[in-house]
Amino acid sequence: MRGALSGLGRFAARQPLGAVGAVLVLILIATAMLAPRLAPHGPKEAAFAPYLPPSAEFPLGTDQIGRDVLSRVIWGARLSLYVGLASVVFGVTLGWLWGVVSAYVGGVADTASQRVVDALMALPPIILALSLMAALGQSVNNVILALTILLTPTASRTLRSLALSIRESPYVEAARAVGCPTWRVIALHVLPNTFATYIVLVTVNVSYAIVVEASLSFLGLGAPPDEPSWGAMLTAGTQAMEPAPWMFMFPGLAISLTVFGLNLLGDAVRDLTDPHLRGGLG
Amino acid sequence: MRYVARRLLLFVPTLLGASILIFVLLRLVPGDIAEILVYQTGSEASVIQQRQIGQIRAELGLDRPVAVQYVEWLGAAVRGDFGRSYMQQRPVADILRERVPRSLELALLTITLAFLWAVPLGVVSAVRQNTWADYLVRVLSISGLSLPIFFTGVLVLYLLVRLFGWLPPLEFVSFTVSPLENLKQLIWPALVQAYYISAPITRLTRSQLLEVVRQDYVRTARAKGLGERRVVYRHALANSLLPVVTFAGWWGGRLLGGIVIVEIIFSVPGMGSALAAAVAQRDYPTVQAMVFVMALVFLTLNLLVDLLYAWLDPRIKYT
Repeated sequence: MRGALSGLGRFAARQPLGAVGAVLVLILIATAMLAPRLAPHGPKEAAFAPYLPPSAEFPLGTDQIGRDVLSRVIWGARLSLYVGLASVVFGVTLGWLWGVVSAYVGGVADTASQRVVDALMALPPIILALSLMAALGQSVNNVILALTILLTPTASRTLRSLALSIRESPYVEAARAVGCPTWRVIALHVLPNTFATYIVLVTVNVSYAIVVEASLSFLGLGAPPDEPSWGAMLTAGTQAMEPAPWMFMFPGLAISLTVFGLNLLGDAVRDLTDPHLRGGLG
Repeated sequence: MRYVARRLLLFVPTLLGASILIFVLLRLVPGDIAEILVYQTGSEASVIQQRQIGQIRAELGLDRPVAVQYVEWLGAAVRGDFGRSYMQQRPVADILRERVPRSLELALLTITLAFLWAVPLGVVSAVRQNTWADYLVRVLSISGLSLPIFFTGVLVLYLLVRLFGWLPPLEFVSFTVSPLENLKQLIWPALVQAYYISAPITRLTRSQLLEVVRQDYVRTARAKGLGERRVVYRHALANSLLPVVTFAGWWGGRLLGGIVIVEIIFSVPGMGSALAAAVAQRDYPTVQAMVFVMALVFLTLNLLVDLLYAWLDPRIKYT
């Protein structure tokens, strides 16, 4: 326990901004996990007067149909984190397997799969997500699916190039020389050595996935309107800007702090895992 | 040369791949345009509705195999005919001709503003490394990266409305009609986006400059007695901008996505807002054409950047 604590202390000393990020992320995770206990009201409970300004009873006011904004912001943390984590874990894992297998197998399969990646990457990310949502229809799980499709090709491109260099390394050659079957070389030698990059990709992409989810919901194409998505809350707030500025302000702050924390933490994780960048200039 | 040829050869298949992707995707939609059109009118008997749906599908060619539809679409598209918009009842090419220049102007304005502001800030931050100026710039750019564009956009809009009684324009005034009115409409969305895009440009300029300043040729330039200003701007900055230029692939994508959002917030009737509306209405021909144009712009940008990179830095060899 003391070892872990002093480890954390060292992390905070070496990466003060990363530590700030970690604290913000911990708050986010705690809010998401404890949402049912923390929120004074249900996220979809429209039982109060609309457009009530912040007060002791409703610290962040109420929205256009009389839902408690604080409760929706708290439940929004859960939705954001769920969508962000699920899509990044699915997307980056798929991209990881795709990239590594494609690099290792090589030949026609590799070329063909890289052309598919090209086509997917030819569309600007938000535009691809928008088109996917148009085809899939609005739901939280479809947002996760769309984000997975969005994240897979980029992850596979990054991990493929890494796997290409690993394929040529002496230890892989040695493994092949002693008669290791291809699947075993991939599973025991190539995959584990790309794991650090995989972790970095996961951490830096969570904030991106959260922003894309909120953007889609902001455009009215993400989660269904009654779901407590920060993006959708912002849209509703924009339509009631004059009478109720608290409606867009608080979800906006929540998402900004979340992204800020995740970015700081992501930067720190990248610096720590990449010795090349250690003590860098950024 | 081989690299350039290879890069050019890949351009067309990639664009085709992307357009096939979108075409197939849009036809997987449950509940197509025919159903939407019919159920909107709210007629009663379902048999009549079914017949109407069939009729509309046949009229729009939706009853044929997707492959046939795609080939016909492509054949017409290369001649500049993108079909008719279901919702607006006019050729999609007309909508594009009206909307694309506006979004292009907004994009150019955004890029200009972003670079005008990001590069000098990056230089200041690097030259005065670890002073309060440096910290200020770094905090500004980290927060620029963290504030989602829809939040800064809404915030700016709110402040404009509250403090200046600003109202989104009812009608778009083109630059040729009245440059001032036109800039008044576009400056806010451009600034909001420029702030977002400039953050990584500032960071990259800073870190590149810090690296370049430690190079031998910069020491040589100093040793031969050049002024600090000349050393920084002529020798160091010129060489540190290369990665900044190639970063265009990244911000190009963000820019095209961001345009959809700022156009909606600031009521700019450009391509982005039209695309979002078309997606919501499932107006396939319009979505299809607009996504195609965006992919074309995006791919061209990436192509130019790669070629520029190879040309600017002859040491780089591609395989």
